[in-house]
Amino acid sequence: MALLPKKTLLDKLLWSWKPESDREAGHAIVSNFLLHWFPNRVLLKSIAYNYSFYLGTICFTLFMILSVTGAILMFFYTPSVERAYWSIKDIDFVVSFGWFLRRSHRVSAHLMVIAVFLHMFRVFLTGAYKRGTSAGSSREFNWILGVVLFVLTLMLSFTGYLLPWDQLAYWAITVGTNIAASVPLIGNQIRYLMVGGNEIGQNTLIRFYVLHIVVLPAMLLAVSIWHMWRIRKDGGLAISEQERARVKEMKPSQPTKTKTYSLMGVSSGTTVQVFDPTTVNEEKSVPSSPNLVIRILLIVLATCAVTAILSAIFQAPLEEAANPRVTPNPAKAPWYFLGLQELVGYSALIGGVILPGVVVTWLGLIPFIDREKKDIGVWFFRTPELKWAIFGGLYGLIATVAALLLGVLAPMRSLFPTIESQIFFDLVNPATLLFVLVVALYFIVWKLSSSSRYATSATFCAFIICFILLTYTGMALRGPNWDFFWPWQAWPQHPIPF
Amino acid sequence: MSKKDEQVNKPRRSFLGMMTGGVLGVGALSTLWISVRSLVPNILYEPPRKFKIGLPETYQDGVSFIDEQRIYIMRDGNTFHAISGICTHLGCTLKFSPFSDEKEITVRNMSYASKGEFICPCHGSKFRDEGTNFAGPAPRPLLWFAVEIAPEDGQLTVDMAQEVDRDFRLVV
Repeated sequence: MALLPKKTLLDKLLWSWKPESDREAGHAIVSNFLLHWFPNRVLLKSIAYNYSFYLGTICFTLFMILSVTGAILMFFYTPSVERAYWSIKDIDFVVSFGWFLRRSHRVSAHLMVIAVFLHMFRVFLTGAYKRGTSAGSSREFNWILGVVLFVLTLMLSFTGYLLPWDQLAYWAITVGTNIAASVPLIGNQIRYLMVGGNEIGQNTLIRFYVLHIVVLPAMLLAVSIWHMWRIRKDGGLAISEQERARVKEMKPSQPTKTKTYSLMGVSSGTTVQVFDPTTVNEEKSVPSSPNLVIRILLIVLATCAVTAILSAIFQAPLEEAANPRVTPNPAKAPWYFLGLQELVGYSALIGGVILPGVVVTWLGLIPFIDREKKDIGVWFFRTPELKWAIFGGLYGLIATVAALLLGVLAPMRSLFPTIESQIFFDLVNPATLLFVLVVALYFIVWKLSSSSRYATSATFCAFIICFILLTYTGMALRGPNWDFFWPWQAWPQHPIPF
Repeated sequence: MSKKDEQVNKPRRSFLGMMTGGVLGVGALSTLWISVRSLVPNILYEPPRKFKIGLPETYQDGVSFIDEQRIYIMRDGNTFHAISGICTHLGCTLKFSPFSDEKEITVRNMSYASKGEFICPCHGSKFRDEGTNFAGPAPRPLLWFAVEIAPEDGQLTVDMAQEVDRDFRLVV
């Protein structure tokens, strides 16, 4: 009997990474989660950093950081109106490294909102929401799951915002719940249910707390696992569709040497030719392990490092304890809602309920509005779409600036001083104007290019620009009393209210 | 099973299927109802809507703010009235910004000497000191609440559950 090299404990633990026979290799695929998670081979184009920027991986890593830091913070936080604020103070000043945990939680929450936005932009701009040609592919469904995750992320962020029970928290939630109250007919009942009464208090805090720590994270975890599993079912990242199309055009050649996988292991030999771009064209693909695994680990590491560095630099703010009697001036929502707050400043019904509702519905419907099959998975600037995207972006810029000018220079109530009807001001205001202009853009481009992809693309780029401009306006250009100030203008000093 | 049996069984099966679906549906709906209904509070531990705010003579002429309930008490000689200090847009607390001199202002075809205006810090809504919204997104005028003298001790009493129109004045 030949002498076998002695296996160390490490070898035994890591055997699936270096299988020594075909049988072991097959077994490894089934028993190692990471090998089972990814396909055997991946296209080089799919794993290129500058194709996907690994934004989905970043989002999920941030969610993991949030879960861990959040779980630790739960040991110190008390969800009661008397204790909440002071337990945050304790976390910041008494608990060892409490400040770091709270900062990491806050920084990764903000980063996650940014990453989710960028991930959505990336998927749209590469046209990756279109159904592929492999069996069972349904990317449009995965896009909808993505929109659900986007909404869940914003809801998690918003519910977490109330928990410190400081002025910032209290007034952001006052504004948020009153926006819900502006829903026609059932608005007040919705607000009553959200707040758990007429006034924001203990009922509200415990409601938001339970949503924040149990309900929403459980939903987000379940949907994100589904979201990642769908990527495999959809035939990989959308760029593989280009390769798949090329493979389909190839003549079925002689049966080539290939591998089949089963629960029993790998069997080599000549079998049915699999028309999969990764196996047919081996020089364009690499084994997932280690190539993809290492990249994912690097991204995870980089995300953790960036979060840690930012947490060391930026303090997590804590204002004065919540005081219902004094509204801070200006009172602002979290940054990602400031675009909405700008619109809410024109009409609570349009800006706070109808527009967000319409935008989220429209985002979910994008794959069904645009069913064209061209350029799936290709960055927009490599296709004729570029000029329409630029057109849409410029149009969005002009439309938003026009709406803001109208809002700042000619407030509706001074244009029509004699009209008292609220319905009139809900219908005629800069927010509605902006909405109508962007909807018009879709039909203009559709008329000019007779392509739903180009029309959707122009509209989406206009949406991105509107979102950025409105958020910037709410963040930097609005001062006390929500008056307009240029960044270089000083805010007037207001006397402290009595 | 004979053909005849099959014919008899078909409607029976679909009937049973419908019954099962119905029971499951009713079960799911009632569970949902129970969960949602339990979240609607039956008792609120909130401050009372009707409360005393002290003797009339303790109020100076002009505007006073009761910060607990966020209402403004306006005194003009021997008349009193109470205006809500909560913006009708999204519920932020209003600030009263007095004019340096009284201004003649016309609201609802009636002109009066205005002492100042209410300003909302959240979205910049503005209200006349008698409650009419005239700038910004506020959709409605401010609420006016009933004010009375408590018979037992002569204190001013505000009843936030009772809204009154904008001509209400309590004469002491």
